[in-house]
Parts: sequence; structure tokens; C-alpha cells
Amino acid sequence: MPRNLSAFLATAALGLAIAAGAKPALAADDYAFDMVHSSVSFKARHLDISWIHGRFNEVEGKFSLDREHPSKSTFELSIKADSIDTANKARDEHLRQPDYFDAKQFPTIDFKSTSVKAVPGGYEVTGDFTMHGKTKKVTLTLKGGKEIEWMGTKRVGFSTELPLKRSDFDFDKKNIGLIGDEAIILIDCEGTRK
Amino acid sequence: MPDAAAYLKAISIAAGASALVVLALGGVRRPAGAARWNAACILGIALGLASGGASLQLPLSLPPASALARLFEIVLPAAMGIELLAAFERAPRWLAWGLRLILAASAGRILLHGSVYLAGLKGEWTAWQASIYLALCGAALAMVWGLLSWLAERSPGISIPLALSQASLAGGAAVMLAGYLAGGEAALSLAAALAGAAIAASFVGPRLAPQGLIGLGVIGLFGILFIGRFFGRLSTGAALAVLFAPLLCWATEAPLLVNRKPWLKGAIRLALAAIPLAFVLAAAKLEFDRGMRPLLGVDRPLHP
Repeated sequence: MPRNLSAFLATAALGLAIAAGAKPALAADDYAFDMVHSSVSFKARHLDISWIHGRFNEVEGKFSLDREHPSKSTFELSIKADSIDTANKARDEHLRQPDYFDAKQFPTIDFKSTSVKAVPGGYEVTGDFTMHGKTKKVTLTLKGGKEIEWMGTKRVGFSTELPLKRSDFDFDKKNIGLIGDEAIILIDCEGTRK
Repeated sequence: MPDAAAYLKAISIAAGASALVVLALGGVRRPAGAARWNAACILGIALGLASGGASLQLPLSLPPASALARLFEIVLPAAMGIELLAAFERAPRWLAWGLRLILAASAGRILLHGSVYLAGLKGEWTAWQASIYLALCGAALAMVWGLLSWLAERSPGISIPLALSQASLAGGAAVMLAGYLAGGEAALSLAAALAGAAIAASFVGPRLAPQGLIGLGVIGLFGILFIGRFFGRLSTGAALAVLFAPLLCWATEAPLLVNRKPWLKGAIRLALAAIPLAFVLAAAKLEFDRGMRPLLGVDRPLHP
């Protein structure tokens, strides 16, 4: 009888703990992008002789990492198209116009994962990439994933490169030439959680 | 990059196509009624726009995702339908103007669909701001449309569609100089199609300029300027100056000019309407040169 009583009390205590919001030890961890230590930049060919580099200054993102069940992990990224910065104001204004990003019509560039799997050194993330109003399935290989704790905050970092063709996203074909069709997007993100 | 040869080719194709349709449909059997002339001009402009746009490879998609695509695939076809209906003698006048006012009121909303301007609290405008701006734009469009149609009834002639054509040409150039190439190119097709249809109609048609030419000209001009202003970098002042420039055709109704010969009145109308357009283009060129300087690296000489 006493054994049954202690088993009942233990079960009741566990139930109360769960009801009170305690997380199971193996639940996915949610991280928000730390934009002080993250960046989304890109490079594209100019006249097919050199590379132009630029970045997007306003980016939001979050990810949920389940290390035990990577397929349950999710990644999301949203880039403000009009935050483009190529270190040349006139060129930035031009790139925001409808001939290029059409930032008033398509204000954000978004990525949302649909499947995740663990690979050596990181994760392979497949998802929907939406740019210039067109959505295409892309696969990113995120390198990294090591978690450290610094000043009371847990941090995880990832890096990836995504080659894209502007013509796949309905950019005006006449404006492909001076600036090459292919652009490489470089994403370095650091996620934080308490 | 702008390609002058491609632009000349597209202008020739658009003007030629619209003129041929007007000559073919309007000149086959005489005398032709107003509805027949109107239909010929509207179909001519439709073919001119399509062929000019195809020659320029305008970035239009189905379903329409951009404002330019919505102008060519929704707003202009709606204007064509209204003008075709309005030309029928049996169609009541109130119905035609009711439909024109509905289109004038909704054109801005259609063009801004899905953009940052209509995104509510997350967007650039609040719902109230959007309502006010769209109402003002609709009122300006309705005013220009109404005044030019009235002038065409009072003192007809091809100078009014030609004034709209030259305003479209100047508006397109200003949009291009402000950095939106495809938007400006679309205006070239419109200007050429309008001019082709108007000139062809003047050769074989009645002296009266079909109302359809004015309706399509006004709505097309408004659309190009609206897109240039809200999606490109055309200034509000430049957009308004180009939109209102054809209203200077009214100057020939002044007592001093009203009884002059029709060709002289037409020439005066076109000359007067060209004055604000010249100022807009000069300002746009100066701004373009200023904007291009850093892109070409001329602000940073290697050997100071």
C-alpha cells in the first residue's frame, strides 16, 4: 500500500509539473535571430568580369531546433527587400524599383522550411523561397549548429550559401546582362534563447 | 539598358498596327457610324498596345503580379469595354459616365493591389491615408477624362488624342529617366498606338475624334504616371504636370482663338500642351544625370 501511495504521489507530481508548463527535456528549442551577429548578404556578377557585393540590413528570422528529431525542426527567414545596401545610394534606389526587386509590390523575400534532415556538420533544409512574388522550392545546407552559453543566453549559429537564378523568379530578362543572372545569397545567422 | 533602335521599332509596330486596324475596319464600308469608328479605334489601340508591348518584351505575367501587368491586363481592357459600350447610340449617356467614374475610382486601387501601400498598419499608409490618396487620384483622373471628353464634343479634332499621345511619350520618358525602364517603355507603345489610330481615323473617318481614343488615352496616361509615382521614383509634381498638360488644349476655346481654322487650333493645342512636358523632361534629365554620376564613378576621380 505505501508503495502504491508513493507511485501515485510521483505520478501526481509529474502531472502537476507538466500542467504548470514545465518543458519535457527533449522538446525543440526555439531561437530568434540575433541581428547584431547575423547577416544576409549577396554577390552578383557585373559585366561578367567581377562581383558586386551587397547586403540586406533588415532581416527577421527564427528557428526551432529539435536535435533528437531533426525532421521536427523548422527554419524561417524574412528579408525586407528595400533594406538592400550595396554601398551606393543611387544603385540601391535603382535596385528597389520594379525593374529589379519591385520593393513596393514585393516588400519581403521569405524562406520557410518544409523539411529538415541532419547531415554531417549541420542540417539539410528544404523549403519555399519566395522572391519577387514567385515561390520556388530550394534546399539549403546549414553548416554549424553548435550551442554555446554566453552571458546567460544560449546561442546557436549556422551559415549557408544559396545560389539563385534571377530569371527563375520572374525578374525582367532585359535587365539580366549587365548584372548576371546568377546571384549567391550568403546567410550567417546566430539564434538566441534564454 | 535603353535601346533606341528597339524603341523606334516598337513605336513603328504599335503605330502601324493600330493605324492598319482603323483603316481596315473603319474604311471598308462607308458611311460608317460613330460606334463603328469607335470600335475600330479601340481595337486598333488594343492591337497596337499588344504588338508594341510584345516587341519591347514588356514583363507582363498571367495572373498579373505587378502594377504594370494589372494596367495592361485589367484596367485598359476594362476601359476598352466601357468605351465600346459607350459608343453605341442606344447606350444611355448616364450609364457610360457611370461606368467611367467607377473605373476612375477603382483604377488606383487595382494598380496598388498587394503592394505595401495597402497593407494596413504594417504598410506605408493607414487605411484612412489609402482612402484619401485613392480618392484624390480618382478625382484627378475623372476630372481630366471629363474635361477632355467635353472639349472633344465642343470642339472636335485629332489634336486631343495627339496631345494625350505626346503626354504619354513624355511621361514614359520621365518614368524611364526616374529609373523605371519597363514602365517608361510601356508608355511608348501607348503613345504610338494612340497616334497611329488618331491619324488613321482623321484620314478616313469623320472629323469627330472618337471618344474611345480619349478614354483609352487618359486612362493609359494615368496608369503609367501612377505606377511611375508609386512604384518607381517619378515625383508627384512631374506626374501631375504630365497628367494635366493635355488640359491646356482648352486654351483654344478662349475668345481670341475659338474661331481660328481647325488645323491652327490643333497646332496651338499641341504646342501649349508640350510646354509643361518640356519642363518635366528637362528636370527629369537633370535629376537623371545627378543620379547617374555616382554610379559611373565620376564623383570620385582617381587623381584629385
